[in-house]
Amino acid sequence: MSLLELQALLPQIILALGATAILMLGAWYPSRKWILAGVGIALVAALCAGFVSPAVAEVAGLYSTGRYACFFVIVWSLLGAFSLLLSLRYAEIHDLPGSEYSSLVLFAACGMGLLSAATSLIGLFLGLEAFTLVFYVLIAFKREDPRGAEAGLKYLVMGAVATGFLAFGISLIYAASGSFHLPEAFVGLQQTAGGMRTIGLVGWALILVAIGFKVSLAPFHLWTPDVYQGAPAPVTALLATGSKGAVFAALVPLFTALGPLKADLEVILWVLAALSMLVGTLAALPQRNLKRMLAYSSVVHMGYLLTGLLVGGRVGNRALLFYLLAYSIATLGAFGVLSSFSRVDDEPQEYTDFRGLGYLHPRRSSVLAACLLSLAGIPPLVGFFAKFGIFSAALKGGYPGLALIGILTALASLYYYLSPIVVLFMQQRDARQLRRGGRHEYIVLACCFAAILLLGIYPAPLLDLLGSLLP
Amino acid sequence: MIVPFHHLLVLATLLFLLGLMAVLVRRNLIMILIGVEIMLNAAGLVLVGASALWQQIDGQVLVIFLMALTSAEVSISLAMVVYLNRRKKTVDVRAFDELRG
Repeated sequence: MSLLELQALLPQIILALGATAILMLGAWYPSRKWILAGVGIALVAALCAGFVSPAVAEVAGLYSTGRYACFFVIVWSLLGAFSLLLSLRYAEIHDLPGSEYSSLVLFAACGMGLLSAATSLIGLFLGLEAFTLVFYVLIAFKREDPRGAEAGLKYLVMGAVATGFLAFGISLIYAASGSFHLPEAFVGLQQTAGGMRTIGLVGWALILVAIGFKVSLAPFHLWTPDVYQGAPAPVTALLATGSKGAVFAALVPLFTALGPLKADLEVILWVLAALSMLVGTLAALPQRNLKRMLAYSSVVHMGYLLTGLLVGGRVGNRALLFYLLAYSIATLGAFGVLSSFSRVDDEPQEYTDFRGLGYLHPRRSSVLAACLLSLAGIPPLVGFFAKFGIFSAALKGGYPGLALIGILTALASLYYYLSPIVVLFMQQRDARQLRRGGRHEYIVLACCFAAILLLGIYPAPLLDLLGSLLP
Repeated sequence: MIVPFHHLLVLATLLFLLGLMAVLVRRNLIMILIGVEIMLNAAGLVLVGASALWQQIDGQVLVIFLMALTSAEVSISLAMVVYLNRRKKTVDVRAFDELRG
């Protein structure tokens, strides 16, 4: 690896080395101020990805440094910075160690950046594991919370099994094609015939199972609600947005490279997408716990994203990326409000805890309501355009069945997204006064609120930008 | 290669399935983690075999990555085992069933 290649990978290196430095220094000077240092490092990495032009197009045949990769490195670095800002007060009231937390979040951002930039199956594997290992620790980070321990255990077992599937799938694809580098691997897979081709396709199916676990597609989603509920709210924000988004960001170039082989996998993907939408909706409808409801509804959103992936092409991929960003912003905002609402002993998450809270804390409740409405796809907000893009791409791309299921589940989602909002602004008040929000939390929430509103009214610049990123 | 690649593939698949069975059937957390290790080693076996089949070094490189990654994962998961054992005085996964709904 030459100096030029190191320069090209600079944002990820800043994140990883910064995280290591914080971890080391935190051992001597334990303080929660390290979380702010982590925010600084994440912002520096984002700036670096935005303004330093990489010297080489691909690093060691593993990671691309193209505009697409740089864009997602910026997105995940900013996401890391935002979730650290949300954690500042949270770490204070729950007495979490600052330097360890901060460095773990930076490592996660680094892993997500690597995953979205992967051009090889090795790069994909390493990026994915880099942040999965971090999440094993982060989910169980509140040590005195028994639910955190259980959530950590569930994510550990599921994540470890997914790792096994992913490694075996990659090794089978390598056995069939003779290359880890994505374009060559798929060309190799097309040229082989007979038994080897079957082995390659089995490997590809195993990778899909692993990805299904990671992004919680329908038959593999069972860990999601428990982990969302048990993990600390700022960690859930990162888990729900970054860890799923980075996988989809990596899948877009992967599926573009797949070419004609996609036809062999179309049926599996179709079933996965349809099941995710239906099962997620059915499970979300009776929920009375906001975190669990968001978990099940995220399964539905993953179904929409998979629909976009299945449609593919320029239109489908652009709709997918726009949806991914719209979903991430709204989810970050919703979990941001939840972490800002958290008490010393617990986080309010049952609907009964929220009854009438809108009158006690109108600003934060309005942000929560706006995020939920955007996730539901109410017109002036960004979620509407995102959903519209996915469904129209599915109709034009020849998947009317998926579009129909999508529209029906989006209609049903109004029920489970509106019911917490109704509870929030109910006249009858059971909710207790919660602590005042921190300044840093308000910065993040204001950013999310502004993005939801502005991108909803004027989405054209972002759509143009995403269109120019795609090959 | 002296050993035909298909024999190796059958052996690796058997190992993978055995590991998966251990994960699904066993209720002791340490046994589940051992099952995962067996699954990962099956992948490593295929990689080494494929590397010899294609006369390339790439597969062996990934095996080394895999070993490093496995050791990182084991260290985290054993820390988790110690932590869970302190909480509930057991490593039986059935004891952890408070989250429902």
